[in-house]
Amino acid sequence: MSTASDTLTARPLRRRQSPLLRAIVSGTGIVALIYIILYALYAFWQPSALSVFTFTDLVNNSTPLALAAAGETFVVISRGFDLSVAGVVSLTNVVMAVYPLQGAGGALASLLICCVIGGVVGAVNGILVARLGLQTIAATLGTMIVCQGLALVILDAPGGMVADFVTYKLTDTLFGVVPVAGLFLLLVVILWLAFRRTDTGIGLYAIGADEQSARFSGVAASRVRIFAFIAAGMLYGVAGFMLSAQTATGNPTAGTPFLMLTFAAVALGGTSLSGGRGSLIGSILGAGTLMLLQKVLFSGGVSSFYTGIFQGFVLVLAIVFGNAVGWLLKKEERQ
Amino acid sequence: MNAHRDIMTGLDATADERGSQKIDHDIVSALLVFGLSIALILCSRFISPALGSWDQVLTVLTLASFLVVLSFGQGLVILIGGLDLSIPALITLGGVLTTNWIGTGDFGVWYLLPVILVVCALVGAVSGVGVVWLKIPPFIMTMATSIVIASAALGYTNGTPRGGSPSALLWLMKERFLGVPVVIYFTIALVLLAWAIQSYTAMGRRLYALGTNREAARIAGVTVNRLELAPYAISAACAGFVGMMLVGYSNGATLRMGDSYMLPSIAAVVIGGSSILGGSGTFIGTVGGAILLTSLGTVISAIGLSAGWRTIIEGAIIVAALLVLRGELVVRLGNRLIAWKR
Repeated sequence: MSTASDTLTARPLRRRQSPLLRAIVSGTGIVALIYIILYALYAFWQPSALSVFTFTDLVNNSTPLALAAAGETFVVISRGFDLSVAGVVSLTNVVMAVYPLQGAGGALASLLICCVIGGVVGAVNGILVARLGLQTIAATLGTMIVCQGLALVILDAPGGMVADFVTYKLTDTLFGVVPVAGLFLLLVVILWLAFRRTDTGIGLYAIGADEQSARFSGVAASRVRIFAFIAAGMLYGVAGFMLSAQTATGNPTAGTPFLMLTFAAVALGGTSLSGGRGSLIGSILGAGTLMLLQKVLFSGGVSSFYTGIFQGFVLVLAIVFGNAVGWLLKKEERQ
Repeated sequence: MNAHRDIMTGLDATADERGSQKIDHDIVSALLVFGLSIALILCSRFISPALGSWDQVLTVLTLASFLVVLSFGQGLVILIGGLDLSIPALITLGGVLTTNWIGTGDFGVWYLLPVILVVCALVGAVSGVGVVWLKIPPFIMTMATSIVIASAALGYTNGTPRGGSPSALLWLMKERFLGVPVVIYFTIALVLLAWAIQSYTAMGRRLYALGTNREAARIAGVTVNRLELAPYAISAACAGFVGMMLVGYSNGATLRMGDSYMLPSIAAVVIGGSSILGGSGTFIGTVGGAILLTSLGTVISAIGLSAGWRTIIEGAIIVAALLVLRGELVVRLGNRLIAWKR
């Protein structure tokens, strides 16, 4: 990952630029721009894209991936990779389908259970990495496989039924306009904005940029790292919860597609994969962009066989564009 | 360097004559991995009498050969601090092109097989170009390549690959020579060649230098940019070749034939003692990791547990192996071995 760090992480303070310009050229700004352009294309090909129904559908489709990508962002900023996302999403999905809890109280209890499952897996990851010194990919690979195994033990083939309340209410709209799933995302964003100003939040960026000097500056590095894994795990749990609301059924391999897509969403959102730089909001928008792209291509008449070709190119272009903007800014600064 | 040769001569790390108290971490790590695999196969006799036999050893080695070839490429990419996520897509590409262009009729098999490998290597070189010149993180670049290639293969075959295996590949995978499958001789030759390339050629040493410290390697006169392309191209060619091997093994290609090899290819490298951050590790260790993972898989599947429990045990053993093989512990163990021998 050395090539990325050359150009991406070392960005000096830029006092002369206006905050607006900075927001636009940051990763979040770029992905937001891509999202708006894609949405315009979508609306052009399919005028119904502007209706509440289509928008709700889109938000519902994107929420599980967006939550998972949001969780992954914590670990990536702290300079690590968390593969356990695939395991936790499968495991929580299966738990939701095999042990449905009816009613609003049941839904809340289920949500808590999903959070606890994710939190426990995250804590195990954190301890393996921060206390026992395993590499993040290796440790989370192990926990991912164990979680997938547990999911298979609970439910060995697709089946089961998710509680009605979860399936219907959580994919619905509030007052006929606001998608309920969107509220989950909003809550996560608000919590994130509050979190990144706390000591732990600053420590998260610090250990991602340079763990050694962060430690010398008094950051409790291993505690922050464990926290990052736990927060990530809990968000994967919520992602599994929302996925169950979407699919209404259980599948022991439901989480597998999340493995690559979450990293794609995180990278698309402008978070540096070598740590220390990035934003959870960008990851959520990145996830939204990946899902929107599928719809746009479909409405544009592209065979679903070839969707991947476009996804790959958008991913590469977004990063090249981000690199180019960063390079131009650096050059301008030097002059 | 002496210590490297010891693995081949007698599995005897104490022959190290450097007179140093510190033993090479890589060597102990590789020995431990090999020891674990042998112990695993021997112990599996207690589970079922059919296990631990010569035939089972041959089966494990045949199955491991796929992973060994793959993890050579993956290991080189990891060595320079990258990661190759395009392996499943390139396995599929290699397989699909083999059945589509050559097929059972052996049409032009002698020049088309190399051509397919070159096509795969070119795809890998494209990933390399993205990483080196467009400064895209390897993780993302190879993932993008993977998505694009998988999608192209899907479109090219219209969802269902047709055709069977050329007879040359059937011969490689199925035929036996002196009671041992041909593919095992082939893999051993490949391992020796690959090991020599990685550990003894100038290119191999430069790759270590590049993985340890890119800037230092550049100042020392290594043409870093061009060198960095090579591992991606080699990894892609290895994956394409595994696609061919799988075609010979199952006499056909499927679009998902590579999926189950993505994580094992990384796991084999990491279990073999390489750092995921690059700059360390030996190919022999990786080979040990591949054999350990495969024998683990076959032993676990023979126990007769449900798929879920098998997966749980596999994951737990991977974590346990990683904990046992952690750096300091291995070095301490190695030093104690030396002290004890003296």
